[in-house]
Amino acid sequence: MSLIFTDDQKSLAQTVRRFVAQRTPLPKVREVIGSDQAYDPEVWAQLAGELGLAGLTIPEEYGGAGATQADLSAALRELGAGLVPSPLLACLLAAGTLLALDDETVRQELLPQIAEGGLVATLAVSEPGDRRWIPAQPVTSAAHPDGRITLSGMKAAVLNGAEADVLLVQARGPQGTRIYLVQRSAAGLTITRDEVVDPTRSSATVTFDSTPARLVAGDAAAALDHVADLANLAIAAEQSGAMLACLTMTNEYARIRYAFGQPIGAYQGVKHKLADMYNLWALSDAALREAARAADEEPAKLGVSAAAARALTSPGYLTSAKNTMLLHGGIGFTWEHDAHFFYKNAIASNVLAGDADYQLDRLADKLGV
Amino acid sequence: MSSIEEFRARALAWLEKNAKPFDEAAEYDLEGSSVPLEESKRFQKALWEAGFAGITWPREYGGQGLGPEELIAFNQEAADFDLPVGPFVIGLGMPGPTILELGTEAQKKRYLPPLLRGDEIWCQLFSEPSGGSDVASLQTTARRTGNGWVINGQKVWTSGAQWSDFGTIIARTDPTVPKHQGITMFIVDMHHPGVTVRPLVVATGQAPFNEVFFDNVEVPTDAVVGEVNQGWGAAVVMLRNERVTIGTGTRARSNPLGFDSLLELARARELETDTAVRRRLAMLYARESSLTAYGRVLHEETTAGAEIGARGSAAKLAGAELALWAADLAQDIIGSDIALGGADVERVITAIVAAPGGATAGGTNEIQRNIIGERVLGLAKDPGVDRNTPFNQLKLSR
Repeated sequence: MSLIFTDDQKSLAQTVRRFVAQRTPLPKVREVIGSDQAYDPEVWAQLAGELGLAGLTIPEEYGGAGATQADLSAALRELGAGLVPSPLLACLLAAGTLLALDDETVRQELLPQIAEGGLVATLAVSEPGDRRWIPAQPVTSAAHPDGRITLSGMKAAVLNGAEADVLLVQARGPQGTRIYLVQRSAAGLTITRDEVVDPTRSSATVTFDSTPARLVAGDAAAALDHVADLANLAIAAEQSGAMLACLTMTNEYARIRYAFGQPIGAYQGVKHKLADMYNLWALSDAALREAARAADEEPAKLGVSAAAARALTSPGYLTSAKNTMLLHGGIGFTWEHDAHFFYKNAIASNVLAGDADYQLDRLADKLGV
Repeated sequence: MSSIEEFRARALAWLEKNAKPFDEAAEYDLEGSSVPLEESKRFQKALWEAGFAGITWPREYGGQGLGPEELIAFNQEAADFDLPVGPFVIGLGMPGPTILELGTEAQKKRYLPPLLRGDEIWCQLFSEPSGGSDVASLQTTARRTGNGWVINGQKVWTSGAQWSDFGTIIARTDPTVPKHQGITMFIVDMHHPGVTVRPLVVATGQAPFNEVFFDNVEVPTDAVVGEVNQGWGAAVVMLRNERVTIGTGTRARSNPLGFDSLLELARARELETDTAVRRRLAMLYARESSLTAYGRVLHEETTAGAEIGARGSAAKLAGAELALWAADLAQDIIGSDIALGGADVERVITAIVAAPGGATAGGTNEIQRNIIGERVLGLAKDPGVDRNTPFNQLKLSR
């Protein structure tokens, strides 16, 4: 398989781009952000249903489209470029966890619903006070008295925790660390939506107080390690798309904004920064393509290449979003302008599913350094 | 097996039989070559006889008439071997493709087959002492005579001039028009008595380049490549080929500032478990592999018929920035011992000292940023106050 888009991927990207432009352009995103909703449920229904993105990489036997990770990343780039609020990432990671675990009953039950967008599922792994995305020894614990399982503890930064119908929770049980399924309606469950820097991404703090749960069979550590790769792949795709959006926006401004008798893009102080933004995007996007290729045809290389891609897209996006504000000058610092939304998104996505150091440590681990 | 896979298998079998794997400890002489010239010529001939030279060039000019897929397959297999073809890299990467694109039928028939066969070596003569980044302000002149042209002037940074048989040179043929419009490209015989080649010693103490002096060097009328006074367009074609070659040509396994090499260096100093060093090594791997992937993207787009245009400049800039960044990491890994040198770090220190050279050769990083800004992003051109002024009225460095 190649690194450049197939015709199908080009057409998928174009479809998603058109959808974003028509149904959820940035002025609409502002409306959602200004409301108390985490995302527009109609937009989500269409993303999941008409565009089929929730089930894109879910195998056909569970109601998905069985598409490749490269297909998915073509779509995610466009959603990242539009800063589209949705629970898609949460659902992708939850579905990825179920597919990596080994519980056929739970898969049959949940995956078809996730695939059609009828069920929002999310993964709860991080804990307060632990900088790692996946704690090696979670404090959250599971008790199994008389076959009745309950969870106690706290999970932080749970993506779309407040909107989720079900949560997949990493907890320490009698047989070690496992994944447990918790229904939103369960007793002893408290979900508090976080005050966040990036208003386009909703997260929550979740506490469990003898909350009834169900064990999901399978090797939790191996599944989460794989899901960390999928998270890197998905976030890198969103970041790459957003970087290109920053570059495009700033490039256009540098052509129409005049100072000292010329478009500001004629000056090397501006032109060279834009050239560096181009290179940051071009190189990290190439790394993302290699990671998606590995996911689809060389799984042994997925860990290394996904962490490598993420190690580039995170800081690359941060730099590009910051330069977008700087190169727009005063207007770029106003609330009216979209630049600050990208900057905030870059700050938050930099630490999503593991901060920059976490990714470099993970890459070094995977490389055997 | 597809024909590509058959070709790949045949290439690998040939390489295993005829080429040496990379040898970290190989002694490189001051000209940066690890083998005598005659051995390079023999190897290039063997490569051609086996059907692996000029893979994508037409058969009537000595090429193999195959597609870019075969070329990529061969390059991937060859990456593990130390092919002693250094003296031919310039000719095959720049003058060769330019003659293929712009040359007359007679030029293609005369010059391309001996280049592929390893019989004749080429260099390119563009840069001049008075204007590195501003190549178009060149001052070497070519004056028309009864039966051709006479060239006078000086070129610099000429790789391989010391062993070249021919060169492509750009010279000023009309000083009364603006600088880009009065330039012509010629093929020049490097054995002409008016050509003087002097090695140019650089910061590393090596002499990988030359200064070349032209003193009344006559060339015939049919030495013109393309049209008279259209040489700047020909030069742009050639420089574009050069940047793709430089940017994506790094062979990670042989690179003293590459991930493998610096990891080994860190392990020898028991620094590979140091958190900061470990993270920087991981970042080195990420950047290095992204450059490889970017090179592959450009190759694939070319294969698919897309124009990569000036994006070779992005690859070249990224490669130069990466080398400078890796040079800093290498210094930190070696630590205070770096001042003392030593046999185990000699190659790395040479590469550290050479890194700024890589950011200059083929156009400085600043020039690459201008090219990316103007030709990839479409930003307004640099003011270029000299753009419309006749050359003979310009202020120039001398």
